[in-house]
Amino acid sequence: MTLSIRNLRLSFGKTEILRGIDLDLEMGDCLALVGESGAGKSTLGLSVMGLSRGSASGEICFKGRSLFGISAEEFRELRGAEMAMVFQNVEDALDPVQRIADQIAEAIKVHSSSTRARDASRLAVRHLSNVGLNKDKAGMYPHQLSGGEKQRALIAMALVNDPDLLILDEPTASLDALTKADIIELLRSAIVGRMCMVITHDLSLAASLAERMAVLYAGRIMEMGRTEEILKGPRHPYTRGLIRSYPAMDATKDLQGILGQMVHGLPGCPFHQRCTQRIDICSLEVPKQTEKEGRIIACHRGGIVPLLEIKALSLTLDCYPVLRDLNISLCEGETVALVGESGSGKTSLSKAIMGLYEPDRGAVILEGRRVEKRDSAFYSRVQMIFQNPRESVSHRMNVLNAVIEPLLVQKKGSHEQRLQRAKKVLSMVELPIDDDFLKRYPHQLSGGEVQRVAIARALALGPKLLIADEPTSALDPSVQAKILKLLMNLQDRMGLAILFITHDIALARKISDRMAVMQSGRIVEEGATNQLLSHPSHPYTRRLVDCASGRYDGGNGDIILDRDVAELIAEPGDQSALEKYC
Amino acid sequence: MNTNNKFGPRDRPTVRASDGLASEAHPGVGMASKLAGLFPSSLVNYMIALAAIFSLNFILPRLMPGDPLQAIYGQEALVVMSDEMEAQLIRQLSLDKSWWDQLLAYVLGVLQGDLGFSYYYREQVSQVILGALPWTLLLTGLALVLATAIGLILGIESGYARGSSLDRGLVAGLMFLGGFPDFFIGILLLLIFAVSLQVLPISGATSPYAGHEGLAHIVDVLKHLALPLSSMILVQLGGIFLLARNTIVTLLEESFILAARAKGCPERCIKYAHAGRNCLLPLTTATGLRIPQLLTGALFIEIVFSYPGVGSLLNTAIDARDYPLIQGILLVITLTVLTANFLVDMLYSRLDPRVRYAH
Repeated sequence: MTLSIRNLRLSFGKTEILRGIDLDLEMGDCLALVGESGAGKSTLGLSVMGLSRGSASGEICFKGRSLFGISAEEFRELRGAEMAMVFQNVEDALDPVQRIADQIAEAIKVHSSSTRARDASRLAVRHLSNVGLNKDKAGMYPHQLSGGEKQRALIAMALVNDPDLLILDEPTASLDALTKADIIELLRSAIVGRMCMVITHDLSLAASLAERMAVLYAGRIMEMGRTEEILKGPRHPYTRGLIRSYPAMDATKDLQGILGQMVHGLPGCPFHQRCTQRIDICSLEVPKQTEKEGRIIACHRGGIVPLLEIKALSLTLDCYPVLRDLNISLCEGETVALVGESGSGKTSLSKAIMGLYEPDRGAVILEGRRVEKRDSAFYSRVQMIFQNPRESVSHRMNVLNAVIEPLLVQKKGSHEQRLQRAKKVLSMVELPIDDDFLKRYPHQLSGGEVQRVAIARALALGPKLLIADEPTSALDPSVQAKILKLLMNLQDRMGLAILFITHDIALARKISDRMAVMQSGRIVEEGATNQLLSHPSHPYTRRLVDCASGRYDGGNGDIILDRDVAELIAEPGDQSALEKYC
Repeated sequence: MNTNNKFGPRDRPTVRASDGLASEAHPGVGMASKLAGLFPSSLVNYMIALAAIFSLNFILPRLMPGDPLQAIYGQEALVVMSDEMEAQLIRQLSLDKSWWDQLLAYVLGVLQGDLGFSYYYREQVSQVILGALPWTLLLTGLALVLATAIGLILGIESGYARGSSLDRGLVAGLMFLGGFPDFFIGILLLLIFAVSLQVLPISGATSPYAGHEGLAHIVDVLKHLALPLSSMILVQLGGIFLLARNTIVTLLEESFILAARAKGCPERCIKYAHAGRNCLLPLTTATGLRIPQLLTGALFIEIVFSYPGVGSLLNTAIDARDYPLIQGILLVITLTVLTANFLVDMLYSRLDPRVRYAH
């Protein structure tokens, strides 16, 4: 173990900035530290360098030496020689009144007093040329260099004594894309054979430099594992929030932020105030880090909770198989788009989940418990919104009655409380709550408003899962956009899981995290929306994507079927027919 | 005075040249710009200031009511002046000719070092001033250098150990000292060291008729210098110290200081090579602004210690209403201030590479 950090705590005054960090780095490892500003990333880097001003406790062990035990002078000798830090190129990370080469020569000279000044400058110039700055540039002052060149100089300064530990603090922030690419190239060669920590909020930088990643929040590591796996499948709600708010080139879903602000020094899990799946224990106890399949997660609920699981569900209607051995799952705060042509069984699935159809086989598991009967508890967790709001909201009920109805059915609260709740959900869907509006009837409202009323009604019981069956196909694009934004906001605020049933691939692309393609009662392909759309593997998916993108010439007119269906149609043993259909 | 050096490190003009610009601005430039680089373009500003001062000096006596000769030499001088002498002066100053000729005569005279004739000393004004100027320059120059150096070092140490007892003690003590007027401190020192303790001479620049030579002479001069110099330094110190200390405190938050620490620079190097070096910039600016104040301070101190400098001379000249001498002294003082400011400007552009291309 060359760098090991155990239970590192650091506080400035009464605020604890780092709350028990455990990390290990081996030679050749590169670990990215990501998180929002103020999460303690830089503080962690600085504490390893012994440059943090707060009072620290715990243990930092570097190459077998405890860094807390050594004297200030011994630490100084380590800094810059065995451990070095590349600073962010903002403000003045380089001394404005000294030449670049002199500043780098200084880094050499402070660690070897025997080196003569001339040799040190010669070495400095050579190191600068290694990072791509020629002799002319070496003689310049920082203000004469561009941002990229200054960053190069900072990198040269850190590498000049060949350190074993390299800490990069936002090394590419404030650089344009091309310069950033150059710098990443340079850094990639610089980190080889060293221990490296990359402090960044730039997930793409983390992905291109580090094979491991630790997500920091308010001084705690929330999730740690292989970068690629974390970015593909975040398990902690905070990690997912970070990824959702990062504008990656391959992301298709609209950006979503994490609600609220980071507060340091909260009891319990530091993230619990902003977490949509918090339970009582979250505010009381600090979650332990648990390792599962090479992923470390600190969450009382074991990470993002699977909300709904459907296992091997089969449904036959009038002797016709509608759903066949269907499996799908949905996590807290996740949108899964269920796409497919009409008649593929999408709506039947939603009805089967809601208990409107009784399945032949299979199980619906909600929050880890198999659903045996649809009681009021079930409906207060799962709600549905329908395609045509004018049909789904009774024309005999005014807005208030429509929204209050589920509360009345479930006999929840007093009249006052119900009225309060109704007003609250109406304001959540951005509708007015004055008496005049509450007394209006659906025919007095626009289509978009009625659909909002329907959503408010679905939210009245505070569900975790919303099944939305073509909720916007009856609305014009502008109203549709508003309703979808609203649903995504509700997802941010309440951690609502949404099963979004649609045949509109373009729409599904913008709102879903995952996509499941349904054909003839089964799911033929499922995956992260961006992956699935850019590399559809099933021919039916390809067809759907092609048609949605306006490429209609791909197919030859044959309907592409699932293998089981094709087997039914084709003559037994007729391989060519099978191949044709699949 | 060049406006660019009024900026401290916090609010400096942003002269971040992009790549292309930087390579253009760097070496390999022609002779012309090299020459221009030697003198800041603010040189023109100094020329204008100089011309304004000369003109004022020329115009003011001539604008006064009555006889210009009377305005230039004063009532009393004219009373004892013979007609012959008066005629000679009128001829010399071209007072009988046109304004244009008068100006020409004046400028030519000034350029030749002719500032007029001191009636009181019965000598050329320039000669009188030249006799006193070295003492003043010695006193103020040393005070400037020493006060800046001591203030800087104390400021760096104090700012670096911000909040310590050293820091608090220095801030309180030097602010207390800085609150006194120059002459008060002078009188205080005089009473303590020269009158009560009698360890240092009470007045003058040298011991009269002692006939010291070589080293003994130098020691004698220094002995006489000690008290006026100390009082000037003590008064100057507070401002310089506070500026240096506060600059250091803000500089220590800068990221290049953190970067220097991360390099493994020892404390001394961070204090002086990085923070101290950058601290020189606002300090230089402030020094430039302090020079006039320093000179006026010297006038009082010289009078208190009967130091034979320009201050004492001015005092005598005013007492004797020796107008040519007063005018000459004022001219020399303004010239000194301008020169000092010019030197500070040059120094600043040496110290801060960013302003070299700012013009």
